[in-house]
Amino acid sequence: MKKIVGQVTPEEKNAIQTLFERRNGLNELAKILTADNAELYEKLVKDLGETGVKFQDWWDTMAQKYQWEYAENGNWEINFDTCEIFLVTPE
Amino acid sequence: MDPLPIKSGDNVWKDGMAKDITFIVTKDCQLACKYCYLVGKNSKERMPWSVAKQAIDYILDREYDSNFNYESVVFDFIGGEPFLEIDLIDKVCDYIKTELFRRNHHWFNSYRFSLATNGLNYNSSKVQNFIKKNLSHLSLMITIDGTQVLHDMNRIYKHSEKGSYNDVLKNVPLWLSQFPTHGTKVTISHSNIPYIHESVLHLFSLGIHEVNINCVFENVWQEGDDILLEEQLMKLADSIIDEGLYQDYTCSFFYEHLGKPMDKTLENQNWCGAGKMLSIDASGNFYPCTRFAQYSLRDKEAWIIGNIHEGLDPNKLRPFLTLDRCTQSTQKCQECEVASGCAWCQGENFDAAKTHTVFERATAICKMHKARVRANNYYWNKLYRKLEMEGKREEFEANKKNVKSEIC
Amino acid sequence: MLQYLVILLDDTSVAYCHADNPLKEHNLIPLNTLRKAILFGMKENLMIQYVYPEYELPEEYNEVIESIDHVKIGREVAVYNAVPQTITAENAVLRISIADFISKQYDIAALLPQVTRLNISLTDIETFKDEQQENYKKALATLNAVLLNLYQSDKQPQVNILTDRLQLKEMHNCGAGDTNITLAPNGKFYLCPAFYYDEKIGISNRLNHHKPSSERSVGDLEAGLKIPNQQLLKLDHAPLCRICDAYHCNRCIWLNQKLTWDNNTPSHQQCVIAHLERNAARDLQQQLGTDNFEEEAIIKPIDYIDPFDVREQF
Repeated sequence: MKKIVGQVTPEEKNAIQTLFERRNGLNELAKILTADNAELYEKLVKDLGETGVKFQDWWDTMAQKYQWEYAENGNWEINFDTCEIFLVTPE
Repeated sequence: MDPLPIKSGDNVWKDGMAKDITFIVTKDCQLACKYCYLVGKNSKERMPWSVAKQAIDYILDREYDSNFNYESVVFDFIGGEPFLEIDLIDKVCDYIKTELFRRNHHWFNSYRFSLATNGLNYNSSKVQNFIKKNLSHLSLMITIDGTQVLHDMNRIYKHSEKGSYNDVLKNVPLWLSQFPTHGTKVTISHSNIPYIHESVLHLFSLGIHEVNINCVFENVWQEGDDILLEEQLMKLADSIIDEGLYQDYTCSFFYEHLGKPMDKTLENQNWCGAGKMLSIDASGNFYPCTRFAQYSLRDKEAWIIGNIHEGLDPNKLRPFLTLDRCTQSTQKCQECEVASGCAWCQGENFDAAKTHTVFERATAICKMHKARVRANNYYWNKLYRKLEMEGKREEFEANKKNVKSEIC
Repeated sequence: MLQYLVILLDDTSVAYCHADNPLKEHNLIPLNTLRKAILFGMKENLMIQYVYPEYELPEEYNEVIESIDHVKIGREVAVYNAVPQTITAENAVLRISIADFISKQYDIAALLPQVTRLNISLTDIETFKDEQQENYKKALATLNAVLLNLYQSDKQPQVNILTDRLQLKEMHNCGAGDTNITLAPNGKFYLCPAFYYDEKIGISNRLNHHKPSSERSVGDLEAGLKIPNQQLLKLDHAPLCRICDAYHCNRCIWLNQKLTWDNNTPSHQQCVIAHLERNAARDLQQQLGTDNFEEEAIIKPIDYIDPFDVREQF
């Protein structure tokens, strides 16, 4: 089940969308980079960690700011087109 | 709680904010489609890796140059049939990703790879490996014209002239499982007008939810084609509405903001992105769009705006970047009561122009646009009346997708 | 609206504008063609400008030439391809490269007291580099200094690139194909002499890659004028120029075609040079005192040098 529980500002949406894109990019880069390319590999590993932290920070900060409804076993999702936040729970 | 964002369902990614860079990786194709605008296809001009690499380096070296300082980027691979060069495309994409990251280029946070394929070797292991490696950054469209009769009428093999429908169709389920929100593109020419209704419904029945469709801009239309188009579109409108397909499927022929007069000042933007895009061919030449390369021009000499060795010639880009709607349109077009949504292709404008200019709008599509407008008015009037009777208009309006009226 | 008919009396008629004349062999306009051209000009109410070759024309031509009011370019309007010591004609054209204009700025300035009007025509605009801006500005300032002195005395010579802009309130450009048309010795019309030269030396018109052709004529004396896409030669169909206030700019469509491949779009070089001149004209106007000029003619300060860079603001 999916229902709207809030909305963020376009600026806030842009921030998480950038992190989302970066995380996807890093994950796909990880598929082709090997430890042979030591310098870039280390940069990638470091970036993956940092991006993951920033990603979680965004959700924590926003959840704190907006006090969205939550549910056990549920997760929040954002629609990048509308800036809406959804609570998704298993049927 | 695991916060996973949902991917944008918008079919025009970062519209207007993305630089579109097209690699013409080959001019070869397994097919010889009867309506193909590429007049100079051949199997010799394949892009070498060295050219692709030099082009990427040139572009990425200019991160803050006004021609490349866009928030996002789409790297397109076009042919002929681009997947004939899957090894090159795979290497190019790997290089782009690695370089964007190594250089801390801002596009690493906002890039896409985009391909339109005839779908014939979609299930090959090389193509599938490429898709899996790049899935979250990939936009991929298989072209199917519609029913088998229509598809095989035009999309035939180069040597045997056999239709390609069955060979494409077998790959459609795999494609839709990987790209469930992606649509297909149908091109309407004189000969396939009678098949529009059944073809669009056929594509919907295959599970394709978005059918982008447009009439060719070339001067191919014959007496009565507009009436036939109108009939086909009204029949399609009836089917979409009567069978309730409008809830889950879209056909770009029906666009709510189509067919209105346009303000000469406020709605004076150019239609097409030529000049803001950059195409690169196998020799390393730059073009404002693929349609300005020699293999897609009937008469005019190619409009080359530079090359990987000497860079862009900014003077050759100036006409494109100063284009507006009214300057290139006839008085009749400017004053047309149903102007909105009437598209043009800058390349066709150039090819058909009396002089060497991109400022002369080709109007071969005029009567087809007007026919489309009539059918479109019929569609929306009928649909909204139905929704009002059912008390569902507000709900529909709140949920309707934002469909771009035409694609290039 | 057409106002002028330029008649090239010979293939070797003097070049008097940006384009060099590469044609070296004499090819005199047939007398009958000349008569028809004059008749065309009379019927269309056009002012005729004959462009002379260096050699003397046969006597029978002079009689025909004199049958209508006209201007003689290459005779009463003297054309120089290098900086002369002195100028005897009241009206002169100096065709010069950018480098020579800069290096010979003092020699040119010394000519100003000798003329009523001097048209300076740069012959290599396409080679202009942004790094040359400062030097070009300095050369214009040198001429300005002389003009200022002269203007404070009785003598008030005109220099196209500096003084034309002082009085203009709207665009006043070359007008090739719009206010003037050129007739070549072959009896055909061209937008300007440069298009005829390009045809004669075989530069492709880029219109058909299957059958390359250098054809550039826009009609002939028999069939009349037929200028395709003539609207694109007019100011209202030039997106950059119609927002511009470098009113004196030649807006050379031959250079447009050569450098941007579109008749209605100026190159970066043409815009920059025209704006350096516009700004120099503003300096001159300020020094002369803006009280001496009508309000609409006062040149405003601007912060760009190529309108292309600020096109979104208009």
